[in-house]
Amino acid sequence: MDIGLLSIIIFLPLLVSVILLILPISMKVTRNIAFATTIVIFFLSLSIFFRFQLEGYMQFREFHPWIKTYGIYYSLGVDGFSLMILMLITTLIPLAYLFLWKTKKAKGYWASMLMIQTGVTGTLLSLDMVLFYFFWEAMLLPVFMIIGIYGTGNRIFSTIKITIYTIMGSLFMLVSILYLGVKFYQEFGIWSFQLSDLVQITTLSNTEQVLLFFGFMIAFAVKIPLFPFHTWLPQTYSNSPTGGVFLLSAIMAKLGIYGIVRFVLPLFPKQYVEFAPYFVALGIFGLIYFGIAALMQQNIKRMFAYSSASHLGFITAGIFSLNAYGMMGAAFLIVAHAMATGGLFLLVGTMEYDLGTRTISGLGGIAKKAPYFTVAFALMLLSIVGLPGTNGFVSELLIIMGVFKYSHLAGVISAITVLVAASFMFWLFQRAILVKTDNDVSGMKDLDKKEIIGIFALAAIVIAMGIYPHWFLYKIEPTIQHYLVDILKVGLH
Amino acid sequence: MKYDDIIYLLPLLSVGVGAVVLMLLSPIKRFGIGKLAVVTIFFLGFALFFNALNYGVLYSVYPYKDLLSSMLIEDTFSGYFTTIILAGGVITVLVGTHYFEKSKMLRGELFSLLLFSVFGMLLLVQSSELFTSFIALEIASISLYVMIGFQKNDLKRVEGSFRYLVLGSLAGVVMLLGITLIYARTGSTNLLAIGHYINAHPDENMLLVITGGTLIMITFLFKISAFPFQNWSMDVYDGAPLPVTAFMASTFKVAIFGFMLRIILVDFQQFKPLLNHILIYITILTLLYGSFLAIFQTSIKRMLAASSIVHTGYLLIAFVSIGSIGEASATSIIFYLIAYFLSSMGAFGMLSYIASDDHVRVTYEDFRGFSHIRPYMAAMMGIFMLSLAGIPSTIGFIGKFYIFVGAIETGNTILAVVGILATFVSVYYYFKLIALMYFYPSSEMTNVPPLKGLPPLIIGLMAIAVIWGGIGNSIISYFPGVDFLIDTAKLAFESLFIH
Repeated sequence: MDIGLLSIIIFLPLLVSVILLILPISMKVTRNIAFATTIVIFFLSLSIFFRFQLEGYMQFREFHPWIKTYGIYYSLGVDGFSLMILMLITTLIPLAYLFLWKTKKAKGYWASMLMIQTGVTGTLLSLDMVLFYFFWEAMLLPVFMIIGIYGTGNRIFSTIKITIYTIMGSLFMLVSILYLGVKFYQEFGIWSFQLSDLVQITTLSNTEQVLLFFGFMIAFAVKIPLFPFHTWLPQTYSNSPTGGVFLLSAIMAKLGIYGIVRFVLPLFPKQYVEFAPYFVALGIFGLIYFGIAALMQQNIKRMFAYSSASHLGFITAGIFSLNAYGMMGAAFLIVAHAMATGGLFLLVGTMEYDLGTRTISGLGGIAKKAPYFTVAFALMLLSIVGLPGTNGFVSELLIIMGVFKYSHLAGVISAITVLVAASFMFWLFQRAILVKTDNDVSGMKDLDKKEIIGIFALAAIVIAMGIYPHWFLYKIEPTIQHYLVDILKVGLH
Repeated sequence: MKYDDIIYLLPLLSVGVGAVVLMLLSPIKRFGIGKLAVVTIFFLGFALFFNALNYGVLYSVYPYKDLLSSMLIEDTFSGYFTTIILAGGVITVLVGTHYFEKSKMLRGELFSLLLFSVFGMLLLVQSSELFTSFIALEIASISLYVMIGFQKNDLKRVEGSFRYLVLGSLAGVVMLLGITLIYARTGSTNLLAIGHYINAHPDENMLLVITGGTLIMITFLFKISAFPFQNWSMDVYDGAPLPVTAFMASTFKVAIFGFMLRIILVDFQQFKPLLNHILIYITILTLLYGSFLAIFQTSIKRMLAASSIVHTGYLLIAFVSIGSIGEASATSIIFYLIAYFLSSMGAFGMLSYIASDDHVRVTYEDFRGFSHIRPYMAAMMGIFMLSLAGIPSTIGFIGKFYIFVGAIETGNTILAVVGILATFVSVYYYFKLIALMYFYPSSEMTNVPPLKGLPPLIIGLMAIAVIWGGIGNSIISYFPGVDFLIDTAKLAFESLFIH
């Protein structure tokens, strides 16, 4: 069987992690090999990036029969949208490893991290719905392990909670996938679960479409998380180990958004347009609600959890705004947010490692002890706040323009609510980092060399994307046009 | 005909002769458990070999038709089920020997009983006549009654044995009555003849046949512990020695489904719509009640027993779909039986390996921190739990996938939804075990035997099979995978309709 580049990107980490688990080697060797693996993956995906054609369609296709009886194929491909997230994943993960370097965790931690990477990239690149579901669920198992074994606090409760939540969501999606498959079979007489086939179904009644639409949306809403499905979020984020929370916030949440754009939009364009107003409203509501919730937090990880959810609400509003600005902005914010939030979680992780605390009232005056840390922290924070010159600004501007085009009122509200983010972030920065308090922060070490490389590489991308967004946007533009014009049939401008 | 008829009968005969031989050998002191186990495996292996001769061939034969007056049928279908049942016997012996040796309860007769039970099950899936099937069912059951209560100083065992004996006999009587009623109307107990009679008299009043069929159905619903006949199963499964529980919960269930499928597909096809009205409710209630029971168990053994009821429910979902999409849903049942067989046999096998001494109770709590002491065993146990819960990348997922697809295809979306809800609940009780194994440091299971010898190897192979069955054959071409299993199941299905 010929194996393509995408398959290697997906399965190399899994292969390595299984070998690492079986071989009796030390944690350090495991870590180094794991890191090397992610670097290899990074270069592989870089080669895909440069060879990617400027078209809105799937490239680097891989197509093999898997379960022929039911027309299930091992089908992979990448288009502009998934390419961007692929690059995000493969860039972020090695940088994050630099931060996790000193964690005194067992081999299993690194092996799980690699397995998560397989699940995440597999989810991202699969074009067969059953294959997608396969990775979507498989992604959960190492997360389950990493939180449950290496988490802190009431880790077991939060593990069970996130598992039950996400599995519940996924099962709704499973029913919907099966239903679509059966409908396709009844209409065309052959089995297929290919996305490109399923979109051709014409026999669905309106009620069926609406039910299926929500079947998918629930699964994705839990993962993002959108407003009423978020209750697993604060506990899970604050009890996860740094690596886990980084992956959850920076990458997996984005896959929820990705799922909506990749599957829900082409499968149910009518419902997508029909329900768009509600989701824009829900997104903006989440933006405000989670922003205010973030303001009230004492625990920094929890605060970032809410801030992350708040921005995901923003992204949701963007993808449902039905125009190129909003979509591009959302795509851009997916990357920007992943970098900034991911970076912040990594920084907080090192702080927690040094000081053993993560409550705001237990901190203060870190700036003196750890200048590099402070600079990095400030940079990431400014990106979240959307300071011009960072990628956060570009994306927020685009989304607000998109939402504004969609509805003036929504645009105005979303523009104003950016202030909420600014207020909690600056307030946090002042209380925890700048102002000197009586708290003992002498245990705080500044970033070491590896961490400096990691975080400033990230910061460089954040600024580069802010200053020259075109270079990052042009690969995705044709895809978004394809979505808007060909599928949703709404005008570009 | 390529072979003489005897070839087809050899598997059955081999097991039967083996049972008698073991019975004669068991009082001899020189034959320890190990040697008897080898003899058992020999007979089962012999049977497997002759059964495998017909692999991949579509056939349907009444061996010695006149002599046996068509009471046995040998077709691809029965061959398929014969393989599973024999494999169940082999695995029970391989995994269970360790348990039996430790618990000092074993007398050699147990192997003889096991073979008699296997013999009954083989007869059941090969019978083409109602009385034969009744006798087969009784042979299989009576051996089980004794196996459950073998350790007669343990009250729990004796109680389980008695409960099963009394209720099981009652169920048997009900079946007998059903057979009588059908005979009264059709004048035959041969499945084919009954089928012909029903088809030839479409307009006549078939009340007797329907009543009889329902009574037979009740017996089988009892044996597979479907709602509302499930109450015995918890205590009986719990009371039985672990390998016996494993054997009952998986292998016996396979045998009974094998026969039920034959009856429904060949015989009572016409009454399927009528039956479906009842079956839909039975299915939903079985799923709900089983899930409800499983949540509250603290012992893994009881949890697996309760979840076995839930799995019966999944199988019944496919059963309901048979009417309109016969092939697909029969295939999905056959496939799911394999999936369930592998996963539950593995889980029970692992339990019986760990709990070789009955002083070790196997509760959830006993598994606390298990992964730190025995990482490989914990991993295998985890795989079996994932498969039972139907998580992708295990065979359990593919099995459920087919069943739910079938239910949706026939328009029973509601059954698929209830099934999915049950799956969702099952995540709770299966993952609880995984969580306990992996997330806690301490453990009280210090006397766990290390990974040594044949039983762990067999369990490990089953774990690999579970994963392989879930991932399929896209990795290595021409290596049997999911499609292979489906094709085999389809062939088995086709052979039912040759006559």
